[in-house]
Amino acid sequence: MRNHLFRAVVALCVLSAPAFAQELTAPDVKSNRPTPRTAEKHPDLSGYWKGTRDTKPVGNIGKDLPGFKLPLTPAGEAALQHNLTATIDPESLCIIGGIPRHNASGLPFEVLQGANKIAFLYWYSYFRLIPIDAKRKHSDDPDPSFFGEELGRWEGDTLVIDSIGFKEEKVWIDENANPHSDALHVVERWTRPDFDHIHVETLIEDPKFYTKPLTYSRTWVLGKPDEELQEYSCSENNVDKEHLGFGPGPIRPDGTRGYIDPAPLPPPIPKAPAK
Amino acid sequence: MRLATTLAMASMIFAGAVPLLAHHSFAAEFDATKALRLAGSLTKIEWTNPHTYFYIDVKDAGGNVVRWGCEAGSPGALSRRGFKRGDIKLGDMIIVDGYRAKDGSNLIDARRVTLPDGRIVSGASAGDGGPGNQ
Repeated sequence: MRNHLFRAVVALCVLSAPAFAQELTAPDVKSNRPTPRTAEKHPDLSGYWKGTRDTKPVGNIGKDLPGFKLPLTPAGEAALQHNLTATIDPESLCIIGGIPRHNASGLPFEVLQGANKIAFLYWYSYFRLIPIDAKRKHSDDPDPSFFGEELGRWEGDTLVIDSIGFKEEKVWIDENANPHSDALHVVERWTRPDFDHIHVETLIEDPKFYTKPLTYSRTWVLGKPDEELQEYSCSENNVDKEHLGFGPGPIRPDGTRGYIDPAPLPPPIPKAPAK
Repeated sequence: MRLATTLAMASMIFAGAVPLLAHHSFAAEFDATKALRLAGSLTKIEWTNPHTYFYIDVKDAGGNVVRWGCEAGSPGALSRRGFKRGDIKLGDMIIVDGYRAKDGSNLIDARRVTLPDGRIVSGASAGDGGPGNQ
């Protein structure tokens, strides 16, 4: 019995390891390669970017806060309870996740930078296209959208993206169902400290739902030269939507979503030896 | 000792390497207390986004044939694990270990799939927070 279990565990490890080795995040790397620059001498943020495995908890906008505790107002707390008990994760219904949720995601993304615009391309075939023009100002009453009205400008080697005009319905600010309102204001400060890393410092203000501004910072590593986004048609066959419950389910003490103590699966079936 | 070491290695592989990626939380759809093993013949294959679905006919304890849907990761996720569309065809017998949907329907999260050739592949939606994707 003990030998059978041993063989089963070894088989599972061996069979599973290659799969995990090709997952969509990457270990952090040290880099001595310099920041690439455009013809205009700005840092070039272009690349296929993967989250690092030491970014924890992924998907939680409170990652950098003590106890992952968000400073919710009473209205924010009510909105959270609404999300937990009466809404299905919008992203699982193929609704755009928006910002800042995409920056907290575990999924890779791709950046294509031009002289006057920059595009962020996301896993679910969503994109945002941001003008880079320090002279542009926000609209008086922008149409609400998932990414907001985004304006880019350079401050030295930092690309600043200032966004207002967000939706309040069918949005979760992160994968744990935390809310944001239409008063959301996001300031992203993007840098590329070397060839192999991109970094964002994010200021999140939402006085309707949060008593004070939040910060969220994160670093991604450059993917391999042959890695790029692939087609992902989220609504092609979304059988899920008929079966999903409200909210993300339980949140573990480490700030990630999921059960703490799931029942074990039946033991793997050892592969018969080749004849 | 050898077993303990191996279990520890397995634990590290499963716990440390997998990020949160899926388009929905495992816990929003599946019940982690209802682990199942299903063995049946493939009647339908949907190699689609956001999930791949296998449908299998399974004989229950009374000998009745019951159709189950098996939800797996996206085609891209399975492909990266070496599980390609050509690895299965209608009529193949496969074994699926996973967790039943919380709504009680005949839908299972295909956490682990044993293919006709005996290979075992993870069918999980990578990083959904489900068992093995901490």
